[in-house]
Amino acid sequence: MDARKADRIATAVFWAIGIIALGILAFIVIEIFARGLITAVKPSFFAGKPQALKEGGGVGPMVVSTIYLVVLTMLISFPISVGAAIYLAEFAREGRFTRFIRFCLDSLGTVPSIVFAIFGMTLFLFYLNWRTCLLAGAITMALLNLPVFLRSAEEALRQVPLTYREASMSLGADRWTTVKKIVLPTAMPGIITGTILPLGRIMGESAVVIFTVGVFVRAIPLSPFDPAAPLAGYIWYVQSEAVVPDYRTIVNGGAAILLILLFLINFGTRRLSAYYSKKKSLGG
Amino acid sequence: MAREKYIKMLLMACASLSFLAILLIFLFIFQESLPAITRIGIPNLFSAAWNPDKGQYGMLAFLIGTLLSTLGGLLIGAPLGIGTAVFLDQVAPSRMANVIRRGVELLAGIPSVVIGWFGLIILVPFIARITGSAGYGIAAASVVLAVMVLPTITALGAETLRSLPPELKEASVAMGATRWQTIRKVLLPAGKEGILVAVVLGMGRAIGETMAVQMVVGNSSQLTLNPFQPTGTLTSNLVTNMGEAVGNFRAALFAQALVLLILSMILIVSIRFITRKKEA
Amino acid sequence: MDNDDNEHKLRVKNLNMYYGDFKALDDISLDFASRHITALIGPSGCGKSTLVRCLNRMNDLIDGSRVEGGITLDGENILGAGYDVISLRRRVGMVFQRPNPFPKSIYENVVYGPRLVGIKDKERLDSIVEDSLKKAALWDEVKKILNRSGQSLSGGQQQRLCIARVMAVQPEVILFDEPCSAIDPISTQKIEDLMAELKKNYTMVIVTHNMQQAARVSDYTAFMLVEEQGDPGKIVEFGDTNTMFTNPSDQRTENYITGRFG
Repeated sequence: MDARKADRIATAVFWAIGIIALGILAFIVIEIFARGLITAVKPSFFAGKPQALKEGGGVGPMVVSTIYLVVLTMLISFPISVGAAIYLAEFAREGRFTRFIRFCLDSLGTVPSIVFAIFGMTLFLFYLNWRTCLLAGAITMALLNLPVFLRSAEEALRQVPLTYREASMSLGADRWTTVKKIVLPTAMPGIITGTILPLGRIMGESAVVIFTVGVFVRAIPLSPFDPAAPLAGYIWYVQSEAVVPDYRTIVNGGAAILLILLFLINFGTRRLSAYYSKKKSLGG
Repeated sequence: MAREKYIKMLLMACASLSFLAILLIFLFIFQESLPAITRIGIPNLFSAAWNPDKGQYGMLAFLIGTLLSTLGGLLIGAPLGIGTAVFLDQVAPSRMANVIRRGVELLAGIPSVVIGWFGLIILVPFIARITGSAGYGIAAASVVLAVMVLPTITALGAETLRSLPPELKEASVAMGATRWQTIRKVLLPAGKEGILVAVVLGMGRAIGETMAVQMVVGNSSQLTLNPFQPTGTLTSNLVTNMGEAVGNFRAALFAQALVLLILSMILIVSIRFITRKKEA
Repeated sequence: MDNDDNEHKLRVKNLNMYYGDFKALDDISLDFASRHITALIGPSGCGKSTLVRCLNRMNDLIDGSRVEGGITLDGENILGAGYDVISLRRRVGMVFQRPNPFPKSIYENVVYGPRLVGIKDKERLDSIVEDSLKKAALWDEVKKILNRSGQSLSGGQQQRLCIARVMAVQPEVILFDEPCSAIDPISTQKIEDLMAELKKNYTMVIVTHNMQQAARVSDYTAFMLVEEQGDPGKIVEFGDTNTMFTNPSDQRTENYITGRFG
């Protein structure tokens, strides 16, 4: 076969592959909305009370649980992950210790979420004698997210030109002041964009939720020590028990809500990131 | 300065948390599975018979289920992922590439229960219709896993290709090579290690994926090589049974979690091996 | 403080400098005259930037860097363990090769240094900004756009903003590390004029690979060289700029200045 013909065939194949990949996504998104959007936007569903046995239940407390868990996890995860990233990017000297830390991070990054779930259950429920609650899930999830969040934050910090650090230090700032006043604000848009993946993971994670947070609640959780039922775990629970007759409706509607939340996360973080870039260039 | 030292220690503590976490995970899982090793015994744990009511705790069926579904998922997902990465980096016009990049990011964020649910209500009935089986099994799990490893492999693969020095491509094109020749003879060989790492990390995701697999694999404990027969994986078995298990049963499940943990560590070590070979 | 220290703000004595196992500077001894401009010239890689970065200890930021010997500022050894590097850098300001304003407003760039020492009073900061920008000959161009990003300025303006940023800290010495290598000739001219003006009050050191620039702006010149690749940088000749350029005593200086190598 002559090279030009092979090239044309290969190009066609790559286009086909690209379109298949996009097609898979489009198929999933369209299926989710086609099956669940009408349910999802009904206030009696997204804000309604759940039913344990009868049909017609809503997912109000579950939506709140999801948001609560996302916020709580971020409150723990953000300072720790960014702090660790600052250590690795700004303070640590490359050497045996940092190589070891990176090895630990890589290892942590491949631990399956079900193992995190079982670990969280063992630690909080068996050893500390907690009941299932939001905080147990949030801490477990913060550990689960540490490697991926840290990597994106470190990447954002390393994008900040070295000359900014030099200028700041040459004006008599110490390292921490330089990080706080120059490096971190400059890296902020990148760090914020880097939260998209962790946020999506917290929202969609079900294994950890099932074993540490809970799968069903009637009331809206208030304290971090309250049991809760984030949507992803609840969906799984509803379809696996299939007690309520309209479980298909609930799962379809729940899936649509999760997808809407995912879009909101993507949109929101990008907006926030753009806001930070703008604020930065305007001074302040 | 004193303040700076204090802050540095605090930040170092944050980084050290990764060590503490992995250590604690190993310790807890190991300690909880210790009774399984001492009371049930290794031969029983790795036998083909899973029947907790009768004291049989063999995980072989699940282990094979995990390996087969991972293999199946990669067989579909890896070519698709690498192909998409090449398309993204080399072939697609930039607008198209951006759409795909965003799309892949979005796909990575779709909760696994949602993907599992579609496997359950669309894929399983579809397989049932064309094969005459119940539809559950390794085949369904493989397709679902292919969808789940696609974003990982695509993103890391595209990153590898992007980080190759542009001179490589220029040199090849300048010598009159076509795009396909450049991709096949220059870019893919140059990015071999990175792409291999992408596939191995995709493998890690496939081995560890729980919910989506649990929903389509059938959750039976029978040992089978038939992709259309219901079976189980380590993860699906854990999530199905961990809630109620006590005593030896629970310890046996922890032993399975330990096996999962060891499998993922093997992957990490092999990645180290791949990347070190490149540096040497 | 003896008389020599009075005349010489900064004195480098038998300085050796290493990056890990690599020796970058060998036995450098050099005195920088107060309120004069000293130029460091030499082919690239001769260690002139390394030397100037020893003077405010910016090399501390590089892993594995280490120095032997002595550097004194007003007679006080700045290399001693426990010496306050932060206050050293306030006294010895630096202008870098590429203009590097922070991604902040012009105003915020200038007040960065004063804020570090805790100056919060708005009026005082305002007057520092005006004063520093005037000293850097930038005030008239930017007085109406102080809230604009420093990075929106032209390259030459950015470099003068960086000079203003240094002025705001009220240093005694200013180090220029090839300050004009990345900007246009007109801006270069402005910065050279500015340096001549600042000479009344400040001790300055300029690293440059441009010999005309060294001849135009400096009072004293040191010529540095690396003999063989891998060797450390050394000072070949140091003296009055006029003499150096008209009648150098070392053949290698003569060769370099007349463009025979480097």
